[in-house]
Amino acid sequence: MKILIIEDEEELRESIHAYLKVEGDVCEQAMDYPTALEKISLYSYDCILLDLSLPGGDGMKILEEIKKMGKQDGVLIISARNSLDDRLNGLGLGADDYLVKPFHLSELKARIMAIVRRKNFGGYNVMSFQEIAIDLMGKEVKIEGQLLSLTKKEYDLLIYFIANQGKVITKNAIAEHLWGDEMDLSDDFDFIYTHIKNLRKKMIEAGSKDYIKSMYGVGYKFGMP
Amino acid sequence: MKLAEKYNRANLLTSLIVLAITGIIYYVAIHFILTEKMDKDLVIEEREIEAYVKNYGRLPSPGDFLHQKVAYEQLKDGQSIERDFYYSEFYNEEEKELEPGRNLSTTITVGKKNYLVTISKSRAEAEGLVRIIFLITIGVTILLLVSLLLINRLVLNRIWQPFYQTLNRMKAFNLAQKENMHSSHTKIDEFNELNTAVATMAERVKKDYKELKTFTDNASHEMMTPLAVINAKLDLLLQESPLDSKQGALIHEIYHAVNRLSRLSSSLLLLAKIENKLLTEHETLDLKQAIEEKALHFQELMQNKGIQYSQQLQPKEINMSKYLLDILLNNLFSNSIRHNYQGGRIDINLSENKLVISNTGNENGLDHQQVFERFYKNPASEGMGLGLAIVKQIVNLQKFEISYVYQNNLHIFTLFF
Repeated sequence: MKILIIEDEEELRESIHAYLKVEGDVCEQAMDYPTALEKISLYSYDCILLDLSLPGGDGMKILEEIKKMGKQDGVLIISARNSLDDRLNGLGLGADDYLVKPFHLSELKARIMAIVRRKNFGGYNVMSFQEIAIDLMGKEVKIEGQLLSLTKKEYDLLIYFIANQGKVITKNAIAEHLWGDEMDLSDDFDFIYTHIKNLRKKMIEAGSKDYIKSMYGVGYKFGMP
Repeated sequence: MKLAEKYNRANLLTSLIVLAITGIIYYVAIHFILTEKMDKDLVIEEREIEAYVKNYGRLPSPGDFLHQKVAYEQLKDGQSIERDFYYSEFYNEEEKELEPGRNLSTTITVGKKNYLVTISKSRAEAEGLVRIIFLITIGVTILLLVSLLLINRLVLNRIWQPFYQTLNRMKAFNLAQKENMHSSHTKIDEFNELNTAVATMAERVKKDYKELKTFTDNASHEMMTPLAVINAKLDLLLQESPLDSKQGALIHEIYHAVNRLSRLSSSLLLLAKIENKLLTEHETLDLKQAIEEKALHFQELMQNKGIQYSQQLQPKEINMSKYLLDILLNNLFSNSIRHNYQGGRIDINLSENKLVISNTGNENGLDHQQVFERFYKNPASEGMGLGLAIVKQIVNLQKFEISYVYQNNLHIFTLFF
């Protein structure tokens, strides 16, 4: 997977890079408008992370350039501009998704994975992890060929976990992913415990290994036991 | 008290006093002059009597006098009377009535005898003159006062019109409105000056407000990038294994604080955006459906708190921004869940003209004056106190109304469409 991070804030760029890099994918960085433009014209990426406020030019122009070049690269806008206008503008110009700063890296990863899957496999594709196979089109989960009946939230949760396999994901990030970031209930995320417990139980009963592990009371990790 | 009324009062009072004083002075002066003249007449009469006595050696007969009466009284030896003018009554024989009179009493010596001579004259004519003068004065006074009142009413009202127009514009002044305070030109310098001053002030206030808003906007905005960095670094820190549970708890606390801070920022940005009317696109939405979806969305949270949820919804269409409706319902729902207690309840009732959300809660009634104000919150609450302020802003934008009451241990929010 080839990813380009266009972000002027070095610390943030490095952090995103560090989080995405591990799997051995190509993960390049651009910190300003000219560099970004150069990289885009030279290479193709599965997904481009685009910050809208860049030194030396508006991020929106880069998006226009990408479209002008007729490139098929997926574009995920990351911006502190929490404005609906930008969101509509960006999506109208052909961005695939929009993420408002500050965000969780796990959310970013999940969004990138979704874009990449859509780009590479069109509508129909299967996502798998060990004995788990997910038909993303039909929204069906099978464990060793056996159909698993999950609620909508459990299904979303599983996809989110697999996209962020091997990473510790906070309860906060999970709650925001499942219930949206406008849900202003910062007090306590223990209510997601029930969902995780149910998902885990259903998967183990269907014959899967126990991949979900609670981490330090902060969050969960999905990965090889 | 209105300015015109106050002015009228002062004006009338002064006029009254001045006119009264003038009237008194007038009366006294005329009275004095008339008395003087009458006294002269009496003295002429006295001289005639004296001349008669000198010529004829006897007193003239009292019946010889036309307009005055004369009476004689012989004085005893040694008795003397001082010459004196005084007022008394005068009997008019023709009219057969008493009239006010003026007398002169003096002594005249006829031969060896002293006589007291009293000459009386009717003052009726003079009094009549004084009365006429008094009536005319009163008449003029009343006429003057009435015309003063009328002038004040008509002219002052008309003159003050521009002032009231300016006043109305000031009352209608709204910081968020884009258009300038436009005022029409008048012929009166003071009002033109006032209009200019008001317009300048409004401009300045608007400019300051705009600057303040831009500042808040930028500050909230600029906060987002460092917050994103902190968040990202925390996400990375969490991947550093192994952490012990104490470190985990610390990270959790930091996450929590960062989360609150970013919510604060985005809430402030949202408020600014609603206030600046940047979210104006609207569509017809099915409110019933939106509420049902929200209830589904929040059902896990309610279950987690053991909250009993009931809804009674009638079909209702509403024309507004989908995004804002989402936020409105989110805030109302999360409010009623967050401030609820374990095993409480939430009832939602939607009818053609209103939406009622009532819930049990930890606190006893909130201050319904302040409940929609920014940063108003229960000290025990973890929220920021912006949720209901945002609700209020959306409600204002939509020209809806919202009210809050605490009744039968229920917090009741009613939204009128």
